[in-house]
Amino acid sequence: MEQEETPRKLCSNCQNEIAEGNFCSKCGQAQNDLEVQIYSKKWLSLLQAGLFILIQLVLCICAFLIQETSITITLALDFAMAGTAMAFFTYNWSENKQLLRWPNFSLKKLLAFVALAAMASLTLHFIANYINTRLLHEKFTYFDVYKSHEYGRYIMILSMAIFPAVFEELSFRGYLMQKLLIVVGEKEAIYISSFLFFIIHLNVLSFFWLLPFAIILGRIRIKEKTIWYGVAIHFIFNLTTCLVEFFSIDHFLS
Amino acid sequence: MENIANNDCSCCYTKYEINDLFCKTCGFPFQGTEQDQKNFLSERNVKEIDLESLNEKVATACKSLYWLSGLTAFSAIVIYFSSAGEDQLATLMTNIFLILSFLGLGIWSKNKPTAAMITGLSLYLIIILLNAVISPMTIVSGLIVKIIVIGALIKGIKAVLEVDKLKKELNID
Repeated sequence: MEQEETPRKLCSNCQNEIAEGNFCSKCGQAQNDLEVQIYSKKWLSLLQAGLFILIQLVLCICAFLIQETSITITLALDFAMAGTAMAFFTYNWSENKQLLRWPNFSLKKLLAFVALAAMASLTLHFIANYINTRLLHEKFTYFDVYKSHEYGRYIMILSMAIFPAVFEELSFRGYLMQKLLIVVGEKEAIYISSFLFFIIHLNVLSFFWLLPFAIILGRIRIKEKTIWYGVAIHFIFNLTTCLVEFFSIDHFLS
Repeated sequence: MENIANNDCSCCYTKYEINDLFCKTCGFPFQGTEQDQKNFLSERNVKEIDLESLNEKVATACKSLYWLSGLTAFSAIVIYFSSAGEDQLATLMTNIFLILSFLGLGIWSKNKPTAAMITGLSLYLIIILLNAVISPMTIVSGLIVKIIVIGALIKGIKAVLEVDKLKKELNID
């Protein structure tokens, strides 16, 4: 039986072989310099992540404060959020570019995720609708903002399904999670980014679906090492909501 | 073969071989001058003292999460009994959510202080910002408490990062 050779660890200073420990027994050089340097980067990473969240939050508050929501304002805010996501993501391009690859693409997995996302969205839509109409006696539709425009439906899909799917994933499971992974472990990065994702939507009740949704997307992102499954799930989840609204309106009108 | 007999490092008490010039675990200079060895030990002692004081800062910051939960509970009771109207229930629900969140983060901070403090600080700052948007004067109310809590959490996060770095430098797990 041929014995497997374990890779030899050499001192970063004098190239002496290091069998055990973190210091070279010949020159005394610490061998965890790189790890110590990474620890020095942590505070800076946190500040960058903090600035990013602050900008996103300000944009969300703007959307929340504007009483007379119009298509122009909605799209302007969408573009502002997309621009912020792109700017931060590309600023740390060397760290983040690996997330745009799709290393272990599986069509079966993608279809399964997409089907589950559509079912989850449908279930949630009906529960939310039931609570709104039966318990809160309110009728709420996202389409109200877009219905005045000739291409309202397409704009709604762009604003509610395409933009959030691409840019929220780029922001939260992309840039933010990558920054948090420098500071904390994988699980904590998932929980923090999911919590911030939920908070940024400024809706306490969404705790029951946005937080679990974000945690699932975060786990997929960590496991698959790509944001693309998340983008697909997010897109189908939001698109289903749009399509159900269109269907309800058409059904109601006819 | 008495030459290769193991000895204990006078700094970290790890066994070493007689040919070693430095300790593999802590970097202590076995063959250095007495002055070199003293300097090494004093530098290490300083770092260990720093580590202790940083750990105290982390503990204070973790406690501030419980304080935040308590303060939110107190203000929730005051708001609930001093206001009336449609928003009363929604405000109470939001406050209960916040109380439980800070309490949960306080408990989480025992195992994962960095993550708990980052989440706690973000949540607290977001609440202050949202309150200020709805009613700008809220930013002034309880300003000293806000500064103390934010200061404690920021110091706590910095301290916990510094603790990790020092532990790596000192080779402590």
